[in-house]
This record gives sequence, C-alpha cells and structure tokens, in this order.
Amino acid sequence: MKHATWPARIILLVLSGIILYAILSARRGKKLYLRRIPGLNAIEEAVGRAVEMGRPILGSIGLGDVDVITLQALAIISSVATTAARFAHRIVLPLRNAAQVPIAEEALRAAYTAGGRPDVFNEQDLPFLSGEQFAYAAGVAGIIQRERPAATFLFGTFYAEALIIAENANQVGAIQIAGTPSTTQVPFFIAACDYVLIGDEYYAATAYITRQPTLLGSLIGQDIGKMLLLGMIILGVVLVTFGSPFIANIFGDKDLETFAAYFRAATGGK
Amino acid sequence: MGGFFVPKQGAELWAYIIGAFVVGLGILYALSLTPKSLRKTLIAGITFLGGLFFALEFFWPVDTAGPMAGKNFLTAYIKPVSSVTTILGALALGLGLYSMVSIHGRAVAKRRENWGFSAVLLGAILAMAIPAIWKEYDKSPQIAGFYRIMYDGGFNPLNATMFSIVAFYIVSAAYRAFRIRTVEAGILLMSAVIIMIGQVTLGQLLTAWIPNENFSSNFRVENLSNWILTRVNSPAQLAISLGIGVGTLATALRLWLSLERGAFFDEEL
Repeated sequence: MKHATWPARIILLVLSGIILYAILSARRGKKLYLRRIPGLNAIEEAVGRAVEMGRPILGSIGLGDVDVITLQALAIISSVATTAARFAHRIVLPLRNAAQVPIAEEALRAAYTAGGRPDVFNEQDLPFLSGEQFAYAAGVAGIIQRERPAATFLFGTFYAEALIIAENANQVGAIQIAGTPSTTQVPFFIAACDYVLIGDEYYAATAYITRQPTLLGSLIGQDIGKMLLLGMIILGVVLVTFGSPFIANIFGDKDLETFAAYFRAATGGK
Repeated sequence: MGGFFVPKQGAELWAYIIGAFVVGLGILYALSLTPKSLRKTLIAGITFLGGLFFALEFFWPVDTAGPMAGKNFLTAYIKPVSSVTTILGALALGLGLYSMVSIHGRAVAKRRENWGFSAVLLGAILAMAIPAIWKEYDKSPQIAGFYRIMYDGGFNPLNATMFSIVAFYIVSAAYRAFRIRTVEAGILLMSAVIIMIGQVTLGQLLTAWIPNENFSSNFRVENLSNWILTRVNSPAQLAISLGIGVGTLATALRLWLSLERGAFFDEEL
C-alpha cells in the first residue's frame, strides 16, 4: 500500500489550502477572469447546429468507473444537456459502466429540468451498452451510424475505443468536441475531432460554462498551485545546474528524519 | 472490529448476508423517510467520512520497523472498506442489466425500427450468461467446452475484430491530421515522419553513413527521433500530467467537501 512521503504531505496540504482559499474568495464575490477556450466556446455552436439539422447530440463519458474524471465528464455533458433542453433537443448518452447508469440518469434529468424541458428527457436515451471496452465501442459506433448525430461530446477516460467512436462520428459529419485526461488518447482526438480540451482545460470546462463562483475559484486556485509547482521546478533546475541537489534530494524521502536532515544541511546545520 | 471483516463460512456467512440485506433495506427505508434537505446533509457527511478515511490512511505516518512496517493503524481496514465499492458496483450491474433488457425488450415487443438488433443483443446476453453461470454448478467437460466455444470462439474474436479496426481508423485520421494546411500541421507532419523513420531499421539506414560521434551524430535520424521523443514530447506530456494532477486534486476537494451540490454541479451550496 502506498503512503505519502513528507514532501508530498506538505505540497498537497499547501495546494489544498490555496485551492480552498481561492474558492472562498470567489464565493465572497471576488471578480475573476478566465481566458477563452475555443473548444468550450464551440459547445453552443455545436448544439445549435444539431438543433438546426434536427439530428440528436451524442455524448460519451468514457470507460471510467465512478471517479473524479467521470464525474467531471458528466458535469460537462450535463451543461451541454441544459443547453440542449432549452431547444427541447435530444442527447443520447450510451454508457459503459453500469454504476454510471443511475448517476447519469439523475444528472441529465436535473439538467433537462434546469433547461426548462423535463418532459424531453428520456431514460432510454441513456442505454447501458456493455462493460466490455470493444463491445461498448461497437455499440456506440452502431448508434452513431443509425442515429447520425450532428454533434458529439466525448469526455472522460478513453483508451483505444476513442478513435473508433471519433472516426465513426466523423463519417456521419458530426461536429466533435472532446476532452480527456488520458494523455495517450489526446493525439487521436486531435486527429479526429474539431475541438479538443487538453490537460487541465478538461477540469476548467464546467467553470467556464457555468461561471459558478465555486468552480471559478477552484480554477484560479489550481493556476496558483501550478505556478507554485513551476517555481519549484525552475528553482530545482537552477540549483542542480549550480551543483546543489537540494530540491532533487528532498523528493522521494519517506523518512521524516532524513527529510529534516536535508533542511538542516541546507540551513547550515541548524 | 477486525473479526467482523474476516471472511465467514457456512451458516455464519448466510447469517451475515441476510443481516446485511436487512440492515441495507432498513437504511434505504430510513433514507426514503428523511426530508430532502437532511438527506443532502447526510450524503455530504457520508462522503466526507469516506474521503477522510482514505485521506487519513494515505497521509498518516507509517511504522518504519516491526510487524506494522510500511503500515499505519488504518491500513488493515483498506481492503474491507474498498469492498464497499465492489458491492456497490455489483448492485449497479443489476441496474445496468435492467436498463439494457428493458430498453431492448421493449424495442422487440413493440417491433420498433431496427428491433432485430435488439433481439440479437438479448439473444447474445442469454447465450453468454447461461453457460457462464451453468459452469459454476456443473463441472462437466461438456459445459466447460460449450463456455469456451462461446468465450474463446465467439467473444474473443469479436473483440479482436473491433480492436483491429483501429488500425484503419488511424490511417484515415492521420491522413486528415497530416494535410499541411497550417504551420502547426506542417511541424506535426515533419515530427511524425522523423519519428516513424527513426523507429524502423530501414529508416535508420538512410542516415547510417553519418558518423555517430561528435556534433554530426545529431543529424542521424534515430538520434533526431530520440531527441523529439525525450526532449520535446516527454516534457509536454509531463506538463499536461501536472496540470491534470492539480485539476484532479481541486475536483476531488470540491467533491469531498461537498462544495458543489445539487444535481451535478448546477446549484451552489
């Protein structure tokens, strides 16, 4: 069983503190700025296109379990569903994990209610296909070929099935917006989709779409945390370049005494 | 407490199963009677406690020597607590199966468009499920053989077929991606060509005449390919992973502390 090292404990506590502070600041009404993300700007355009063409929207929240990545994917698809509901439009969301079924149903029902058209929500548009990767891919490809969606939203954990789904949607002329933290699949999405959210843009999506203070604050907290980590990386590079392995040494030591010894050595033995 | 989590046998096992079922039903009934506002607080509390257990287990210092080396006082409970996820998954599988059978059963019963696909799906479920369950109770070689025919002879080749299709899709996606319409697409194409040539022996032969020493070795295709992979690609991947890691931490914190609630993030607390 893995356990945190002392540097990991300190860094995670500091990062958590920064993120929580930023969230609280945002909730107190602090004005926050977000840069434009083309993939997220395109969501309304994609929904509008599907409505104009009278063809459904297809979503996928990937192969993940009910984890942070999948819940984030569901949050993005829910935002899309709220926009679609305003036009009384269908969104088809085939599922791979049985545990996703009740959660996804509840989330989309709430999204359609928030969009003012709970009557348009249909549980049958959220079919559980299979727990098997390629059976799911075949099922989604089949739905794409039969339903011919005008827009697809692919968010979540993806593996080799990513390209099967994206290429099938490309064949039927769907506008495609995708995002995944699975870095190995990002190149395939870039090759096959119109817009791709890369890296932490995936987690910025809900904040960008909903503009909720909690999510905006969390996003700003993440950026401050990343700047802090970037500063540590630069400091580490500079120190190593000038012959001091201080930063490099303290990472990876589990023992508190060893960790403290490095600090004592760095501060002149005090 | 430890004895409670030890695997049980025989009558004791059944007593635990029935007990868990009764307690589970009781909790569900009590939850259904709870007012909606209190239910949210209850769910937030359980979420917090669940997250707290895993966070404490991960962060609490571990013993460095003795029988508890590499463990802390919570490590022994990780497996039983993690089993809850497995149990919830098993319950959810029933829900998933119900969803699938009801959708496709209705499609067949009402002869909806493409109902034939639904009928094939339901037939396939039965064809796989019956021998898979049967072989657990009947150890005869005929049943095991029938199961192998269905799994190794049916399911696995179908799986492999779907996977092999990826090769064709890679070609069509790469064709579109590598059409030089922008500077970025041009750089992408150049990098891809260098890496592809640098990875194969025949490609490496193209620059084998360049001495593999001093400055000139930088122009050998395998070295160029390796440079792109380790000096350009890897740092970019690590930077993306770092951003994702911080994003995951922020999302996990929001979920753990129930800072966003309502039906999936559409309402502020």
